[in-house]
Amino acid sequence: MAPPLSTLSNLPPDQVTASANASPHHRHYPTLVRSSTLPTLIPRSHRSDPSHLSPEDAFVSASPPRRPGLFDGGNGSGSEMGTRRMRPKDTSRSRSRRRKRFQKLLWVKQSYPDNYTDQATFLENLQRNPRVQPYDFWPLVADSTTIVQHVCSVIIFIVCFVGIFQERVSPVSVVGWGSFGTFLGWLLWDWWVGQEPQGNFDGVPRIREFRPPRRQDSEAGLPTPNPGTPSVSNTPALISAASSSTNLFQEHQNHHHQQQSQRPPLVGQDSSNGTSLSIPGHSHSRSVSSIHSVTSQTSGGATPRTAFGTEGYRDGAPWPVPPSKWGRTQLRLRAFKSAILIYFTLLGLSPILKSLTRSTSSDSIWAMSFWLLAINIFFFDYSGSWVGVHKFPVASLSTNAALMASTVLASRLPSTGQVFSLTLFSIEVFGLFPVFRRYARHRSWRYHVVLTVLLVMSASGGVGMILGCEADQWKNGLIGTVVGCLISALAMGGCSWWLIGLQKYKNEIYGPWDPARPIIISRRHWDDD
Amino acid sequence: MAPTYNIAMVSDFFFPQPGGVESHIYQLSSKLMDRGHKVIIITHAYDGRTGVRYLTNGLKVYHVPFLVIYRSTTFPTVFSFFPMFRNIVLRERIDIVHGHASLSNLCHEAILHARTMGLRTVFTDHSLFGFADAASILTNKLLKFSLSDVDHVICVSHTCKENTVLRASLDPLMVSVIPNAVVAENFKPYRNPGEIPKETFGQDPCPARPLGPHDTITIVVISRLFYNKGTDLLTAAIPRILENHPNTRFIIAGSGPKAIDLEQMIEQNVLQDRVEMLGPIRHEEVRDVMVRGHIYLHPSLTEAFGTVIVEAASCGLYVVCTQVGGIPEVLPSHMTVFAKPEEDDLVVATGKAIAALRANKVRTELFHEQVKSMYSWTNVAIRTERVYNGISGAISEAEFYGYDASDPATWSATRGRSGVQSFALIDRLKRYYGCGIWAGKLFCMCVIVDYLIFLVLELWFPRDKIDICPDWPRKTVDERREPGVR
Repeated sequence: MAPPLSTLSNLPPDQVTASANASPHHRHYPTLVRSSTLPTLIPRSHRSDPSHLSPEDAFVSASPPRRPGLFDGGNGSGSEMGTRRMRPKDTSRSRSRRRKRFQKLLWVKQSYPDNYTDQATFLENLQRNPRVQPYDFWPLVADSTTIVQHVCSVIIFIVCFVGIFQERVSPVSVVGWGSFGTFLGWLLWDWWVGQEPQGNFDGVPRIREFRPPRRQDSEAGLPTPNPGTPSVSNTPALISAASSSTNLFQEHQNHHHQQQSQRPPLVGQDSSNGTSLSIPGHSHSRSVSSIHSVTSQTSGGATPRTAFGTEGYRDGAPWPVPPSKWGRTQLRLRAFKSAILIYFTLLGLSPILKSLTRSTSSDSIWAMSFWLLAINIFFFDYSGSWVGVHKFPVASLSTNAALMASTVLASRLPSTGQVFSLTLFSIEVFGLFPVFRRYARHRSWRYHVVLTVLLVMSASGGVGMILGCEADQWKNGLIGTVVGCLISALAMGGCSWWLIGLQKYKNEIYGPWDPARPIIISRRHWDDD
Repeated sequence: MAPTYNIAMVSDFFFPQPGGVESHIYQLSSKLMDRGHKVIIITHAYDGRTGVRYLTNGLKVYHVPFLVIYRSTTFPTVFSFFPMFRNIVLRERIDIVHGHASLSNLCHEAILHARTMGLRTVFTDHSLFGFADAASILTNKLLKFSLSDVDHVICVSHTCKENTVLRASLDPLMVSVIPNAVVAENFKPYRNPGEIPKETFGQDPCPARPLGPHDTITIVVISRLFYNKGTDLLTAAIPRILENHPNTRFIIAGSGPKAIDLEQMIEQNVLQDRVEMLGPIRHEEVRDVMVRGHIYLHPSLTEAFGTVIVEAASCGLYVVCTQVGGIPEVLPSHMTVFAKPEEDDLVVATGKAIAALRANKVRTELFHEQVKSMYSWTNVAIRTERVYNGISGAISEAEFYGYDASDPATWSATRGRSGVQSFALIDRLKRYYGCGIWAGKLFCMCVIVDYLIFLVLELWFPRDKIDICPDWPRKTVDERREPGVR
C-alpha cells in the first residue's frame, strides 16, 4: 500500500513521484512502463530517478529543453507556482479519506473533477533520455580519425592541384606517386582479400548486394516466388559483373541497359561489379563512369529490380561461381584491363577537359570547386560499417561532387598532360582511396592509425609548402607538419570533449504518446520506420 | 437556472469530411444545444459546401472560404481570418470560442483572435504528438503559441492530457480530460435473428452464440490501412493466427497505402477463403460489419482515444488491442485483451481471446449496456458545460481549480484576480513572451499586430453596423431528466 499522502507531501516533489512509482498501483491493466527493465526493489524515499518527472516538471522544466532562467513570467509558471502547485494535493489529501483512489481510466465514473491532476500517476510513464548511451572520450577521438583522414585527403588533392597550377610540382611526379601508391594499396588489398576466408567468395555474402535498395513501399516487401527466371537473369548478371568497363564502353549494350535501369547509375554499377571483380579495377570504372553516368541517367522501371532482387534473395546457393583460385587470377587480369582502359580514356578525354571551362572566369571555378569539395566532405559516408569485401561505401553525391570539382579544377590547367594527371589523381584520391581506407580500418586498427598520421603529416606539410615561398619550402613544410599535427590533435580532442559536454543538454522525452515501434519477427527487413 | 452560452466551435475538420473529430464536434454541439446553449460551427469551405448551412436542430455551420493546403488544413495566415471571424462572432453574439484539433490552423487563429476580442476560449486536443521529429517540434511550437493564452484545454484521454501539458507547457489544472463517446444506439449488437442486413458481409450471416468448440470465430479489423494504424503488425500476425486457430477467419475493412501488403500476404499464404477484404466502408456501415464478428482486433501504434474499440465493444465484440497511447484507459479489462505492439504478443493475445470466447468465459452480450452506461455524449456535454462554467466564472475558482482563491499566494499571471484569465494586453504579452527566446518575441509581435488589426476593424466596421442574427429557438433543459454527473 502506498504511504499516506500526508507524508508524501512533505517530501520534495521528485521523491514523491519516485516513491509513488515504487508503490503498487491498483490498476486494471498492466502498464507499459519500463518496469521490466527497472529494478524491482526500489528504496522508497531515497530514489530520485531522473527519468521520471513529477507533474510540476511538465510546466517548469520539461518539454523542449530550455534554460530555467527564461521561465519567469511565462505561462504563469513563475516562482509563485512553487507554493500553489502543491495545493491540489492538499485538497486531495482531505478528500482521499472519503473518496476512492483516483484512477487513470476513462470508463470509470470517478468522483474527481475532470481537471484533477493526480500527483502520483500524472506523467508516471514519462521517460527522459531512455536510449541515450553516454560517449567516452577516447572512442570518440578514435572515431573522428575517419573524418580527419578524409579531410586530409581532400587537402592533399588541393595541395597537388595548387602545386601543379603554380608549376612547382611536375604533374608526372604527382600522378606517378599517386599511381604507385594506388598500386601498393591494390597489392595490399589483394593480399588481404587472399587472406579472407573463402566463404566470402561464394554466393552467401553476395546475396546482400543483390537485395534491392531499401524501399518504403511494399515493393521490397514480400518477395514473390518467381521460379522460372533465375537461371536466365543470374547469368547475365555475372557477365556484366565480369566486364566492369561495360558501362563505359557500351559492350553488352542490352545488359548495360538492364543494369542501369535497376538502380541509380552509381549504385547499379556498384552492385553488379561487386560480385566478381577485384576491387581497385572495379572502382576505377565506377569512378570514371560516374562522371558520365550523371548525364546518361536512365530512369528505369521498378519491375526488373524487384524480380532481380528477389531472385538474388531467394536462391543464394546456386550461383555459377568460378573456383576461387582461378577466379582471383581472372580478377587481377580484369582489374589490370580496366585500369588500362581508364588510363587511355582519360588520356583521350584530357584535351576536351582542358578547354571545358575556358569561357568561365577563374573566380567562379574556385568558388564552385570550394562548394563541391565542401559537399564532398559533408556528404561523405563516414560510417565505419563494413559489410563485406564486395560491398562498397556508396556516397554517390559525395564522390560525384569531388570528381566534378576535380574536373573543373583540371580545366583550369594549361596543358593536356597536367589535366590528365590531375584527373587521374582525383580518381585515385576520391574514388579508390576511400574504399581502401575503409577496408584498412576494417582489417587492422594499426594500419588505420598509421595511415591517419601519414595523411595528417603529408597534408599539413603540403599546406605549409604551398603557403610558404618557394625558396625554403622544406622548412615551411616542416613547420606546417608540426602546426598541422597540433591543430588536428587539438581539433579531434576538442570536438570530442565538446560533444561530450553538450550531452547534458540532451532532453529526449518518451512516453505512451509516442508511436510504438512494432516488432515484427517474420519480416526481418523492417527498419525503415 | 444554469447559465447558457453562445458557443462557436471552430475547426478545419467538419462534415462533409468523415472522421472522428468531425463527429465529435457534431455530437457535442447537438448535445450542448439540447442543454439550452446556442452553438455555431465555423469551418472552411469544402467542395460544394460554402456559405452558411443549417444542420439538425438549427445547428448553424459557417463555411469560411479559405485556401486548403494539406489534408483539409487551411493555409496558415495568422491574421487573414480576423475580419470574417470578428463579423461572425459579433453577429452571433458568441461568448465562448471552442477550437478543435491541434492540426487545424483555423482553430488556432480563432483562439488568438477570440482572446484579442475578449472572449473565453477552450481548445480540445484529439491527437498525440511525439517530441522527436521536426514536424512535431514545429507543431508543438505553434501549439504553444496558440495555447499560451487559452482559458481551458480539453483532452480526450489522460495520456493525451500528459502529452498536451508537455507540448504546450500548460498548467495541468487547466487541462480537463473529457473522453469521446459513442452513440450507443447506432452500435447495437446483432441480437435479433429476424434482422436481415442490407448487404451481406462475410460468409455466415449470424454468429452463433454460444460458440461451440468448432464454430468459426470471425475477427474483424476496421481501420485505415496506414503505418501508424499498425497494418504491418496485422499483416505479420494474420497468417500465424490463422495457422494456430483453424476455425477462424478475418474480415478487414478500410483502405490505405498498406492494403497492398495485406493483399500480397493473402495471396502468398493462399488465405483468400479465410481473409475477406471489404475495402473502404462508410461510417454507417461500420456497425453492420462489426456485428459479423466475435473479436475486434485493433493493432494501432498510436491512438489518443480509440473510439472504434468502444464502438466494437458496444456491438458486443471482444476487443484485442495494442497497449498504446490512451487505449488502456478506454475499456475495462473484461472487455479487452491487451497486447504489446509486437507480432508475437499480438498473436498470443488473439489466441487468448479466441480461447476465452470458445470457453464462453466472456459475456459479450452484456457489453452493449455497459458501454452505453460508460460513454454518452450527454455526459460529455455536461462535463464540457462545467468547463464553460469554470472559465466564465459561473463556478468559483476554488471549486473549479481546486484551491483557495482568497490566498494571495495562489494568484498567478495565468489567471486574473477574478479567477479567470486576464484579457489585459500586457498580461497576454507576458504569457506569450515565455514561449522561447526568439519565438516569445515573435509571438508578442504577432499578438500586438493582431490587437492593432482589431482596433482598425473596430473603426472600420463598427460593432453597431453589424447585424445581429436572430437565434434559433433554444431548448430548455430538463434538469430532472439529466442529473449532473458531479
